[in-house]
Amino acid sequence: MSFYLFLARSITHAQEMAKVLEQSGIYTKVRRAGSDMTERGCGYSLEISQTRFLQALDALKESGKRPVKVFFVSGGKRQEVAV
Amino acid sequence: MIYFDSAATTFQKPPTVRKAVLHAMQTMSSPGRGSYPHAEAAEEMLFHCRSLASELFGLSSPEQVAFTMNATHALNIAIKTLVEPGGRVAVSGYEHNAVTRPLHALDAEVVVADAPLFDQEEIVRGFARAIESGAKTVICTHVSNVFGYILPIEAIAALCREANVPLVVDASQSAGILPLDMRQLDAAFIAMPGHKGLYGPQGTGLLLCSHEVEPLIEGGTGSESLMQAMPDFLPDRLEAGTHNVSGIAGLDAGLEFIKSTGIDRIRRHEQILLKKTVRHLEKIPDITFWRAKDPALQTGVLSFCVKGKSSFDVSEALARHGIAVRAGLHCAPFAHRTVGTLPDGTVRLSFSAYSRAEEVDAFARTLRRIAR
Repeated sequence: MSFYLFLARSITHAQEMAKVLEQSGIYTKVRRAGSDMTERGCGYSLEISQTRFLQALDALKESGKRPVKVFFVSGGKRQEVAV
Repeated sequence: MIYFDSAATTFQKPPTVRKAVLHAMQTMSSPGRGSYPHAEAAEEMLFHCRSLASELFGLSSPEQVAFTMNATHALNIAIKTLVEPGGRVAVSGYEHNAVTRPLHALDAEVVVADAPLFDQEEIVRGFARAIESGAKTVICTHVSNVFGYILPIEAIAALCREANVPLVVDASQSAGILPLDMRQLDAAFIAMPGHKGLYGPQGTGLLLCSHEVEPLIEGGTGSESLMQAMPDFLPDRLEAGTHNVSGIAGLDAGLEFIKSTGIDRIRRHEQILLKKTVRHLEKIPDITFWRAKDPALQTGVLSFCVKGKSSFDVSEALARHGIAVRAGLHCAPFAHRTVGTLPDGTVRLSFSAYSRAEEVDAFARTLRRIAR
């Protein structure tokens, strides 16, 4: 299974992003993020389906609530994506 | 009991507040710490409360809403962020010790914008003079906790904007009672308790932030755990340690109550009670009370004195008749110094959305007997 992870700086930031996306009809799942993703310790991310990735990114950019980083996850491997 | 001490704590709460507290205790654990349903339920509730506060008080993001223990805690964060030790600060002559004691601890040079009670123009001039004299921060209560005096906070905020001086608003007596909008005031911080006009439980408060802020305490936040410095983003920067989840759940229900009831409706109700109280007090001999000529300048808080009796004696006598009021200095010696009610202070009545007209009548009958 392939999907994107939008890294948030905090649970509140993750929730804000989720709310913006929900208003655009994109439903997400808030997930914990480990140090390997954040490089700073515990954090949060949003799981976004491949099909809604670009729409989700546009909605967040427009609202000024951009993710800290974006990762693409496929076949159990994770790779940071430049956005 | 007739409860007229809502400026200290609103005692009668909406039933939804009690239910929310209990529900949180039964279903919620630590927010920001786990991936299981009880942690997620706590996270969702906290975010709902932040979002509601953000909406009610005109913030652009729920991230600007930090949970505190009370307004004093929130004010301490704001003051200790903005005021350098020995720095010059302008305050009104109506501040609470929650403002003046932290300033004293910082050995701040406090310039008091003195003005007679209910004199809107003179207090604005006082702040203008204080800013001209080099005050680096302005801290002002929105409403006097002793006299219910509504200070001209919009005009004071305009002065601060013009001079580029950060403003801290103590909204302890106005949150949930008067319109309050961060975007309009452009304040650096607005501090408020959860347990007064917002009808939440004790042990809750909010700091609304539009300025960089320094934490008062450090510790775990569930974020950036590898780093030893506190996170540089809100609200985590100010929220070390486990939250008061059940308290915040009650506050969330209190905010819902304010939103659904309407601030204007609560304000009108309290104004009616105040008018009724004044009509009674005018007929009782030997009572002095402080009432604004313009009702728009006073909330549902009224101070009075009985000639020849100490404020404590009067409040104790009222308590014996089942009437709860507060006596003395109300932790606001500046206000009593300004109005001339030191050293005994005053007896203070303060209403809430749950106060009733027939309680005002009963209070007046009792006071008439006590004042004899």
